[in-house]
Amino acid sequence: MKYAVQKIVSFVMTLCLVSFLVFAAFAVIPGDPALSKLGTDATPSQLAALREEMGLNRPLLVRFADWAVSFVQGDMGTSYSYDRPVSGMILDKLPITLTLAVMAFLLTIMIAVPLGIYAARHEGGKVDYLIYCINQVTMAVPPFFLGILMTFFFGLVLKWFTPGGYVSYQTDVPGFVRYLFFPALAIALPKAAMALKLLRSSVIHETRQDYARTAYSRGNNTNQVLYRHILKNALIPVVTFLGMALADMIAGSIIIEQVFSIPGLGRILMTSISGRDYPVVQAIIVWIAVLVLVVNLIVDLVYRIIDPRIRME
Amino acid sequence: MKRKTIKKLLLVLVLTTLTIALSACSGDKEGENSDSSSITIGIPQDVEDSLDPHKAVAAGTEEVFFNIYEGLVKPDSDGNLVPAVASDYAISEDGMTYTFTLRDGIKFHDGNLVTVDDIKYSLDRCADTSNGDPLVSAFSNIDSVNVIDEKTVEVVLKEADTEFLFYLTNAIIPASNEDPAKNAIGTGPYRFVSHAPQESFVMKKFDGYWGTPAHIDNVTLKVCANVDSIAMDLNGGAIDMFARVPTEQAAQLSDNFEVQEGTMNLVQALYLNNSVEPFTDPKVRQALCYALDKQNIMDIVADGKGTPVGSSMFPAFGKYYMEELNDVYTTDYEKAKELLTEAGYPDGFSFTMTVPSNYTQHVNTAQVLVEQFKNIGVDAQINLVEWDAWLSDVYTDRNYEATVVGVDASSMTGRAMLERFTSTAPNNFVNYSNPTYDETFAKAIAATDDAEKTKYYKECERILAEDAANVYIQDLSCLVAVNKKYAGYEFYPLYVQDFSKLYLVEEKQ
Repeated sequence: MKYAVQKIVSFVMTLCLVSFLVFAAFAVIPGDPALSKLGTDATPSQLAALREEMGLNRPLLVRFADWAVSFVQGDMGTSYSYDRPVSGMILDKLPITLTLAVMAFLLTIMIAVPLGIYAARHEGGKVDYLIYCINQVTMAVPPFFLGILMTFFFGLVLKWFTPGGYVSYQTDVPGFVRYLFFPALAIALPKAAMALKLLRSSVIHETRQDYARTAYSRGNNTNQVLYRHILKNALIPVVTFLGMALADMIAGSIIIEQVFSIPGLGRILMTSISGRDYPVVQAIIVWIAVLVLVVNLIVDLVYRIIDPRIRME
Repeated sequence: MKRKTIKKLLLVLVLTTLTIALSACSGDKEGENSDSSSITIGIPQDVEDSLDPHKAVAAGTEEVFFNIYEGLVKPDSDGNLVPAVASDYAISEDGMTYTFTLRDGIKFHDGNLVTVDDIKYSLDRCADTSNGDPLVSAFSNIDSVNVIDEKTVEVVLKEADTEFLFYLTNAIIPASNEDPAKNAIGTGPYRFVSHAPQESFVMKKFDGYWGTPAHIDNVTLKVCANVDSIAMDLNGGAIDMFARVPTEQAAQLSDNFEVQEGTMNLVQALYLNNSVEPFTDPKVRQALCYALDKQNIMDIVADGKGTPVGSSMFPAFGKYYMEELNDVYTTDYEKAKELLTEAGYPDGFSFTMTVPSNYTQHVNTAQVLVEQFKNIGVDAQINLVEWDAWLSDVYTDRNYEATVVGVDASSMTGRAMLERFTSTAPNNFVNYSNPTYDETFAKAIAATDDAEKTKYYKECERILAEDAANVYIQDLSCLVAVNKKYAGYEFYPLYVQDFSKLYLVEEKQ
């Protein structure tokens, strides 16, 4: 109970802090949303009227409190530039970014877990060495660069997908998933490389523990020891890492969206920042923060499932 | 028990991922357009406005709306006005009264006939001053809009203006549309279908169009936010056409594309804040003009493409453009240094150019300028700012020394280019102030005779050039890449994209 209260308080505090920082940042950087909307033909009285309409003439704290109250009530405001509710815009884009992050996450696990276990079991073998080499290279390449390489190789040379030919999930779901495959892979590979390395060394470490030897002496074969005893313990650091990685993937997919021209949350966030469309930026950043916090919470819970020794203290 | 759950989970994971992987590898069948008449066109920024044509301000929005909405008259590709919603018009000799005849049987996209009341409603809506300024500033000159009979509308002005017709390209929308911001109803060759922010803007051919119908049934505009990947998007087949392709991207295009060259229809210049030292002194401004080598800039920035200009008027304005003003200054470092010495800066001076970072051509031009000014001992620095910061600091607050941008015309009038340099103009962001100029401009506005008007406008241009209000450079080249499957692209002297003229090459044969 105490644990839950503690979690909720820190959850709310973090959100308040994040949203206030965004508010403050926009107060400091140059640019004016009213001017940005009206452009070079704006007359002073038009500008003044629009500022009044947008509520920009009120003090920062009043605006923040106002925004926070309506946000809690479920009203995220209206986009300055598109003149439509922010909630609808985000709901349209959220599935794109979430699908991308989840696909990347699944790919990470699919690559890291089997290969990691294989490498650990054949420690010092040729395949282990090969995996090690490839791993080092993959880890060193940032996702956006991998993305550019993939667009060139799979898109332009092999023509496995149309670069920039994003397909909307509202019209064609298989096509949508197909287009997101390579972006997801670009996000997944460096993370998978790290998870693989972690898992391999963790399994090797656990294999040398006393309990593993005891398990062998009780007549278990290698598979039994590995899957029933060692893996449970070896997975704990990997789960920690994957939890952080998922949070990172949600935030990091913004960059990959740019590389692959995917009109997700990232794209709309970028254009809203440069267009000074505050309501949109506010809402997206708060939602990303919520997602990251939720993921962290899930990681905490998953710990307990894997290892009942970990209690919520 | 627990082990089984984990195993099951793993199995689900494996299967999901395999499905994803397989579906990703199952080959790509899209790209070939089974529907023969559709085109996907890349646009650099989204249509970031509501659908209300009277409230749209972004140039990128207006060029798209050109296909959906029409005014009483509309520009053709030569810049002349042709009747649109009105089938005919007459201007009284004193330039005070404009009379329009409604086109017979012209329909809105919702199928209703356009009435004279819709015309009155649209014009009144833009001229309405109850919220301060009218939606269209020029409409403050409208005294009244009168419905004469069910075919005729009369617009009466407060002051004579023989160029007022150019503002009547403003959209006519139905009075019955309660929410123009959400329902786009116009009379243009295309009708609005859907808009997903930052994703796509879809239009369909309007079958009830009064004029030459569009050739292509479906037009999808796709936002290509990343300028550096335009060539890839075109080559890969994600888009069929892109207007204003950067030179280095155009060079990477495959043989499937035809690159057409036009002009951007703007005046790129080093705009100087005329109220800041040392630019208050015309000699200093002239010295900078003498240090300039326009051809060198074009060679470096755009492979030699572009048209030099010598004043605030670009070549597409055939009637007012004066080619001879390009030769007012020729590159002459000695002369420049002499002028600087006379002005009291024998060792040169230093200043900062504030340049919007999103306009690559302007940034590149600024970099060449830095080198060119070194020849006369002037030390220029570049300060890159975001477009929004430029709008507020430079354009509105006029807190800058110099900037490199392009200035275009909102309508095909001499006024649109030249009025901003009168000393009291609210958009005179260069703070230019010259009584002779103000006087000449006032004469041009007052003139009702076209030849006389043109004469005074040209005089204004000459003053700007000789007084070196700004360091005029060029009208940038505009490259349009079109897949060879399509043809018919036409350049307009205004910021307009006419999609109705595009057609599939096979279709025409």
